Amino acid sequence: MKPGSAFYEASVQCLMQSSFFTDLDQHVVEEMVGRCRRETWKRRRLLPMEETWQRFHILLSGRVRLSRSNPDSGRMITLFLLGPGDPFCIFSLLDGKPHDVMLETLDDVSLLSLPMGEARQWLYDHPEFNRTLLPYLGQQMCALAGLAADLALHDTEARLARLILRHVDEPTQDHPVIPRLINDLSHESLAEMIGSVRVVVNRQLQHWKQAGIVDARRGHLEVEALQELEKRAEEFRH
Amino acid sequence: MTYENSCVAVYDEHLRVQEALHILQKNDVNTTNLSLLGKGEGSGTYSTGLYTRGDQVQYRGAQRFFWEEMWRYLPGAAFFWIPTVGTVVVAGSLGAALVVALEEVVNGPDVLGAALYTVGVPDDSVIGYEKAIREGRYLLVVQAEQNEAERVHDLLLSSDVQDMALHLG
Repeated sequence: MKPGSAFYEASVQCLMQSSFFTDLDQHVVEEMVGRCRRETWKRRRLLPMEETWQRFHILLSGRVRLSRSNPDSGRMITLFLLGPGDPFCIFSLLDGKPHDVMLETLDDVSLLSLPMGEARQWLYDHPEFNRTLLPYLGQQMCALAGLAADLALHDTEARLARLILRHVDEPTQDHPVIPRLINDLSHESLAEMIGSVRVVVNRQLQHWKQAGIVDARRGHLEVEALQELEKRAEEFRH
Repeated sequence: MTYENSCVAVYDEHLRVQEALHILQKNDVNTTNLSLLGKGEGSGTYSTGLYTRGDQVQYRGAQRFFWEEMWRYLPGAAFFWIPTVGTVVVAGSLGAALVVALEEVVNGPDVLGAALYTVGVPDDSVIGYEKAIREGRYLLVVQAEQNEAERVHDLLLSSDVQDMALHLG
């Protein structure tokens, strides 16, 4: 993308605010943006990783879901829900291989992309980037470990509560609290993030709604009693 | 044939557009699904319009020779006045999409967005493209299968393009 682009400044600002690029000098981020091409993908675009792993992508707007599914049962588990400033696929950047992951756009998205080889070269050319890359990788590993632990150790109510709390910025005095990224997802999508099914999530949200813990309507979720929700998550937050 | 994928390139003057078209022709890009949009005004002191003489599309305005050359390359001619954008001259197949948008989809400032949406361009990009046209720049829109749209993108990198994006449906 060239500096003359109408989208250049907004792209640089988006990356500067991303935890993935935090602490980098602006000229380093500008160099990265300059190497990328701008793409947009329509909502509900489904992409197997074989089609995308050879390019490194950074989201500028919208959300992308990375998931795995069982073709026999049709069941799906969401591994990561990515928002503006998030890169993908970080694992292919590191090991140069495709991974068994399906990408789905939840909104119309705009993103930057560049060939994986060039992204890897950029990584070598900017060792200071490791200062932000390693913590980011740590977060990703923690998220996966958290998902595995939730699936193995907690019931659906606790898993749903923990999912919502992971998307609440803290500390917050806001009331009610609107969780990031997930507040307008369907109950089916929420279920796919905690290894459950739509009817169970729907029933649980209705219970919480009656108890005044959340306000859950079609395509809208907000937390009205954060402390109560924390109790449901067994007072253990990531 | 219509595609939901497109490569949109923005040029700041018509000579750059001609260079880009030569690059695409030299590399056997199918011009059937290629369109050019521009403001079509020169200095503002010209009467501007589009008419036919026999089967020839003629242009009245400061950029007469440029647009008439474009219509020889890119079949399909249209001229609109769109609220918030102003005059829009089109060469190529996107003119038909604008007519459909006018007749069936909307009747207001969103008409250009509705036409561009059919070739994969989302709303937040439309705002930037409308601004580019309003400011006198040119949009070269190539509709194609994804692989071809990516090839066009790579080819146009060698042109003096001001802005470019790949829109995948």
